[in-house]
Parts: sequence; C-alpha cells; structure tokens
Amino acid sequence: MKQAKRSVRALSVTTAIVIGAAPLAISSTTGTDAIKARQETMEGIGDAMEGLAAIAKKEKPFDPAVVSKNAETIASHFRTAATLFPEGSHQGEVETWAKTEVWSDRETFDDTLESAEKAAVALQSVSEEAAFRPALAKLGENCKSCHEMFRRPKE
Amino acid sequence: MRVPRGRRAAAWLALLAAIGAGAFVILTRPSPLDASAIPPHRPDLARGEALFHAGSCLACHAAPKDAPERREGVPSGGNAFPTPVGVFYPQNLTPDAETGLGLWSDLDFANAMVRGISPAGLHYFPAFPYPSYHFMPITDLLDLRGYLMSLPPVRSPNREPDMPLVSVARRGVGLWKRWGLDEGTFSPDPDRDAAWNRGAYLVRGPGHCGECHTPRNWLMVPDESRYLAGGPHPRGEGSVPSLRGLVARERYEDAADLTLALQYGETFGYDKLSSGGMGDIQASLARLEEGDVRAIAEYLVSLD
Repeated sequence: MKQAKRSVRALSVTTAIVIGAAPLAISSTTGTDAIKARQETMEGIGDAMEGLAAIAKKEKPFDPAVVSKNAETIASHFRTAATLFPEGSHQGEVETWAKTEVWSDRETFDDTLESAEKAAVALQSVSEEAAFRPALAKLGENCKSCHEMFRRPKE
Repeated sequence: MRVPRGRRAAAWLALLAAIGAGAFVILTRPSPLDASAIPPHRPDLARGEALFHAGSCLACHAAPKDAPERREGVPSGGNAFPTPVGVFYPQNLTPDAETGLGLWSDLDFANAMVRGISPAGLHYFPAFPYPSYHFMPITDLLDLRGYLMSLPPVRSPNREPDMPLVSVARRGVGLWKRWGLDEGTFSPDPDRDAAWNRGAYLVRGPGHCGECHTPRNWLMVPDESRYLAGGPHPRGEGSVPSLRGLVARERYEDAADLTLALQYGETFGYDKLSSGGMGDIQASLARLEEGDVRAIAEYLVSLD
C-alpha cells in the first residue's frame, strides 16, 4: 500500500514535470524550426540573387526568362518568410540573428517584407536590359533596409 | 594646543582632494594645434567630397529620419548615437553660423578633427572618431572643410550627450587621450604600391574602420595588436566582424569581389554589409570613385 502510494506520487511528480516542461519544449521546438526554416528561405533568396547578380556583373548575358524565374523565386520566398517569424521564435536551439524589433515593431517588419516582395514582383516583368539594373537596385535597397532594421550583425 | 584628531584628518583629506583635483586639471588639459600648423591652401572641393564619403560622415551626422530640417546628403546632425557610456548627438556640420561650422576657422576645424578639441577649447568625446582622423594631413582636412562649407546651411542646435556628470566626464577625456589619441599623420609603406597606400590611408584615417572593427581594451583604447580583428558592437547589438583574412575565410573571393560588395552591396547579392549600421557606410563608400573603393579593398584583403 505504502509502495503504491509512493509510486503514485512519483508518477504525479513526473507527470507534473512533463506537463510543466511541455510548453517550454514546444516553444523551443517552434522557435528552432522557424529559425531553421527562415534561414533556409533566406539562403534560397541568396541563391536566386546570385543568378541576378551574375547578370548585373555581366558575367552572364541578360535573359528576361532567367530574370523572371529568379525574381519569382525571391517573391515566393518573401511570402513564405512572412509566416516564419511567429511569436516566440526570437530564440531557439540554433542561433538566430533576428533582432527583437521583428516582434516589438511587427507592423514595420511586415510592411518592409511586403515592400520587398513588391520589388521582387516588379523585377519579374522586366523585359529590357536597361530596366533591369534599376529594378534590381530597388530590390537590393529593400533587402538592405530590412537587414539594417531587423538583423543583428554577424561574424 | 592640540588639534582634535577628527579635524586633523579632515584637513589631510582636504589637502589630498586639492592635490587630486589639481592633478586632474593638469593631466586633462587640452593640447590644441598651434596656428602655424595651418598652411596656406586652396581647398579642392572634389577631394573634400571624396573624404566626406570615405568617412561616411552622413552615417552619423545626417538628421534623424523624421526631423523637419532633414535634407538628403546634408549633415545637419542631431541623430541619437547610443553607446555603452551614453547617448551622443552628432554635431551639425553645415555652414550655419549659429549652430553649424559657419564661424569656425581652419584652425578650429583642424583642432576638432585631429585633437578632438572644440572651438571653445573643450574635449570632444571620442564617439566622434578623431583618434582616427589624426592620420589626415591638414591639407586634406581643409579640402573636407571646403566641401562642408559648400553645403546649404541648416539651423539645427547641438545637444549635449545624455550621460551622468557630463562636464566632469568631458574634462576626463583629456586623461583618456594620453592613451587613446596619437599624433602625427599617416606614413605610407614604401614597400607597397600607391593603391595599397591610398587604401591604408582611407581605412585608417578618414574611413575610421578601426573605431568599430578593432576591439578595445579595458581603457576603451583600440588594441592595435588586434587591428580590425572584430569585437563587440559599440551599440551593443551583436558583434562587429573581423576584416582580417577576408579571402582565407572565404568571405570574399578577392579584392575585385570585395570592391563590388562595397560598391553595390545587396544589389549584387552581398548581404553581409547591411547590419549594425554598415548599410549606411556601404552607401557612402559606393559614392567614391572606383579607384578609391578598389584601393580600400586591396588594402583590406592584404590583412591576414
């Protein structure tokens, strides 16, 4: 009887610990998953930017189809990125360089991301070489201002 | 007659305090340039403008984004610059007579830039990076002043920093200067070519890269043995990257790659130059002639 009581108590303590820790575990996983997912998204944007930069640097010839495809990839990544900064994902098991302003100044963050997406969409329909550099510069400005406001410097 | 012990101790303390205060006043005394240091010189505004951009003066001296007096490209100052020791409000650099540099002489300007001393004879806090500008020859300073004086005057009163005991701390900067401020201009390395030396000068002098990219010791003096090796961010947000071994660490392919990064930043997909305030600096450097950007890049990639 005594032993049963003890095991019930042990069980309830264990349960309490598990239940108590559960939200922590969940939030930390959510943070970690979101951080990983958005870092992959940003890398995807970076890869598509490389394709565009190669044209800007004149390493590759101007090709509206390539420009459009890369710009579309970037625009779609921006739409995904908008969902990858949920509340509580300012930290996780992997390092994030997102500044807390992402969550404390959410409106500006969302506006900035939307403006970046618009710049990418505008770049999609560029058909002439003369319009390419200014459109790419516009997208670059958006990347830059968002990074300045919402990303910590990293080594 | 015996003097009570308490009163004697008080007398000793008063004496020690007086000696301490006297030593403080002597050790912190400003040491300005002599008027003879200013040579006759006709300022070259184009060279002055290049120095203005090489120094990214606007990154700190532009007006706050929402200020009514803000004008693009005009350094009317006043934008809060937070640091671990207090919040600074950069000086109005326009030729406005009352609030800007309008009434400053060449000597006033040179003293501010290389000795960190205001026209009133007070120390500037080294948040204003004169410990780098001392590398600049006086003729370069006069070119820069000439360019500033060619800008439209904007009325924007200067503001004291937010920190406790500002005037005592300001005087105390004189003590800091004994370790933190060198004198003498940049001396080129005869074993290197002209571009490398131009780059070294722009980075060390007007560009003042070391102010953030060189870690500081406990006296807040940049540690020359770790020149440009990176460290904590002065505004307390993350860290400032090292500029040494940029190619070995695969940050950039070569000097040409870094040149493009400095000129075009995110437009060319270089995403490392737009955090912690570097975005504004990249935008300034992008306005330099290509030869100067390439010189900066050549010097930087040579640091291992």
